[in-house]
Amino acid sequence: MTLLQVRNASRHFGSLIAVDDVSLTVEPGELRAIIGPNGAGKTTFFNLISGFFKPTSGAILFDGEDIGALTCEQRVQRGMARTFQVTEIFPELSVADNLRIAAEVAAGLRMKIWLGGAIRREIDARVDELLSMGNLTDKKDKLVGALSHGDQRAAEILMALALRPRLLMLDEPTAGMGDQETYDIARLIRRLHKQERLSVLLIEHDMRVVFNLADRITVLAQGRVLAEGTPDEIARSETVQAAYLGKAAA
Amino acid sequence: MTQLILYSVFNGLIVGAFYALMALGLSLILNLSGVINFAHGGFLAIGAYLAYTLIPVIGFWGALVLAPIVTAMIGLAVERAMIRPLYGRDPLYGLLLTFGLAYIIEDGTRFFWGAQSVPFQVPGWLTSPLSNQFFFLTGYRLFMIVIVAIAVGGLFFVLTYTRLGMRIRAGTHDLDTVSTLGVNVGLLRNLNFGIGIYIAGLAGVLAAGLLGLSPTMGASLLMPSFVAIIVGGLGSLLGTLLGGLLIGLASGLTAVFFPSATEAVIYVMMGLVLLVRPRGLLGEEGRMH
Amino acid sequence: MNKAQRRAFDIAVWALLLTMPYWMGAIGGYTELATRIVVMGLAAMSLNFLLGFTGVLSFGHAAYFGLGAYGTAMAIKYLAQGTLLSMAAGIVIATIAAAIIGALIVRRRGVYFAMVTIAFGQVFYFIAFRWNVVTGGDDGLTGWHRMPIDLGLANLDIFGNDKAFYYFALVIFAICVAIMAMLLNSPFGRTLLAIRENERRARFLGIPIERHIWLSFVISCLFVSVAGTLYALLNNFTDPRALRFDLSGNFVIMAVLGGMRFFWGPLIGAAIFVALQDYISSHTENWMSAIGLVFVLVVLFFPRGVLGILRGRSAE
Repeated sequence: MTLLQVRNASRHFGSLIAVDDVSLTVEPGELRAIIGPNGAGKTTFFNLISGFFKPTSGAILFDGEDIGALTCEQRVQRGMARTFQVTEIFPELSVADNLRIAAEVAAGLRMKIWLGGAIRREIDARVDELLSMGNLTDKKDKLVGALSHGDQRAAEILMALALRPRLLMLDEPTAGMGDQETYDIARLIRRLHKQERLSVLLIEHDMRVVFNLADRITVLAQGRVLAEGTPDEIARSETVQAAYLGKAAA
Repeated sequence: MTQLILYSVFNGLIVGAFYALMALGLSLILNLSGVINFAHGGFLAIGAYLAYTLIPVIGFWGALVLAPIVTAMIGLAVERAMIRPLYGRDPLYGLLLTFGLAYIIEDGTRFFWGAQSVPFQVPGWLTSPLSNQFFFLTGYRLFMIVIVAIAVGGLFFVLTYTRLGMRIRAGTHDLDTVSTLGVNVGLLRNLNFGIGIYIAGLAGVLAAGLLGLSPTMGASLLMPSFVAIIVGGLGSLLGTLLGGLLIGLASGLTAVFFPSATEAVIYVMMGLVLLVRPRGLLGEEGRMH
Repeated sequence: MNKAQRRAFDIAVWALLLTMPYWMGAIGGYTELATRIVVMGLAAMSLNFLLGFTGVLSFGHAAYFGLGAYGTAMAIKYLAQGTLLSMAAGIVIATIAAAIIGALIVRRRGVYFAMVTIAFGQVFYFIAFRWNVVTGGDDGLTGWHRMPIDLGLANLDIFGNDKAFYYFALVIFAICVAIMAMLLNSPFGRTLLAIRENERRARFLGIPIERHIWLSFVISCLFVSVAGTLYALLNNFTDPRALRFDLSGNFVIMAVLGGMRFFWGPLIGAAIFVALQDYISSHTENWMSAIGLVFVLVVLFFPRGVLGILRGRSAE
């Protein structure tokens, strides 16, 4: 069963059409990249899927269920986790606490006012596991707001991972990063994709990352799907090149 | 019976006009700067007491013109010194600071002018009733309504047609863009605050003629101003105006027919608005976060 | 502050609290002042559960403080109930009010939420003010006093003996504070921290924000109402000022003054504030300006509060 199916989704803001009749599917285990020039509506599209607003028209199905009426929290509970263009973390808590909160919520403990020793150890173990996945074990007690940009981003991705999501949505994870940090994040994403067999929906500008990781690519421009296909197909597409170089799309 | 109803409606409108005037100044400051000015009532009192002090020197009309201006200048200084450092910080701090200021101002007026109420000299010809049948239509009350109307009209004129006004309105929607366009945001906030305080000072002079002066006169008008903003809708000055008039009217009618609920009725209205139309009568969506 | 330091600090605080009536006199205080510190400390700490730990500003907590006070006073005066039952009455009334009002306002945030809490607080103020038949109006509810508590084995004379009442209040304080500490250290408590730190991220971990804020609001109001009941018992009196928004403001400044990011911060702030208020008002009529000045100075120069400054120093 298709994991995520977006059917002819549109989103209007008054007379501004931010997302225009976009359709897209993500199969389980797939890493789908969304690329496009600035202002193409990529983040708005993400916001549509994750529940910031309802589509003006069209449908969004997750695991066959129409999630259009669900709140953001409900969509997260169904198995969709995401990161944001501007890293959203808990700045004055330690890395370990950031992950702990995510792990506890994921384990259904968010209303618990008392934790038995056994469950606490389980959560601790899960936090340690996540820390090592992101190479943050030696920084676990540092305030996450004091970490480098790359480490903060890794922490955010790990928090999303802590939720044991079915679909991981990453909004420009390598934005503002130098080469080394980009490489580290890309490697983390690849590991999550291959080893944890996570389905990933990825917005990215860095083409090295996109072409290295993606199974399929969707190109958005001006709110519309311009092209869709494997990395090779997209690389060879003239329409895509035109969009990026600014000429009018054919 | 009709006399009674007319009386209460008229009274309610006057009270409502005050609430609206206060609330407009409060709303102006809140919308642009995100600060709840708890000291607004205090500035009203300052305006009133300044007028009281000035009348023997420059007469009533002179005081009416000068007192709000001096009050506004005090407001500009306060904003520059104490409120500006707080922008960008948690709104908690603005609240606490203006709260403390309110205490200081109240105590200050008590210190300089005494804790007792003092009478306020209004020109005699204004206080006589204009009609035998409608005894409550005194010249002063009509005069007040006229002044309030002029002030509100003036405010909307400034906001709509002057450059300062347009920048204020733009800044209310998107301060970042305004600042990248080269406008001095600090100065804009400062002047905006000054306008709000001017209105408070003016309201003070008018209120003094109606209610007399006391150090706590501002506090009793402050809370209803909050309610006026909530009922009218955050972010909408027209809504605030409407909200003020509405709750004034409600409270005027209640005072005559159900006196013990006079104050409570405006809060009941607020509760209703929150239940049925949380963003307020003319409020904008998404302004609450 | 590591765990050992925190433990040591806890022990120091409890040691001081347990012995306060005995050393209070030596520094110019008196037992009733000590009890007032404990009561206000509880109120400020309860407010801080919502403010410092969930990141939500309420400027109307006096409403629930006052409801606790009036509920207790009326239960004693009109229903001739014993102390504990009367306290329960006050707490229940206040908590129900908080649950209803909280549900109405929980979708608002920031400045707007604060405004609405202020406004709702005023409703209760006016009811107490106007309904003189029942509440005694502006003069307050007099003609009653706290009764000795019959514990079966012994009689706790909390009325006649100031010190006995202090320790009674301290026990109540300890129970409330222990529960708050337990809640804050639980997974639920951590979701509140999450909401404080970053509401959007908390929402996108699947935490239902509005529901958790509502819960935090109700819990916070419940404990502030306990402080209110103690306040009524302390004074054998209550009046509309226990409901007024300036008291709400005082709670907030106590929390900020002591350090709102710290568990014991509000208690420290309350101690300073109550002692200062007592001292200044006995020396000058213009104590209001002095209090106002405290607000202004704290906001401009000490926003992290006493504990914030101390911790900053020790981290160097």
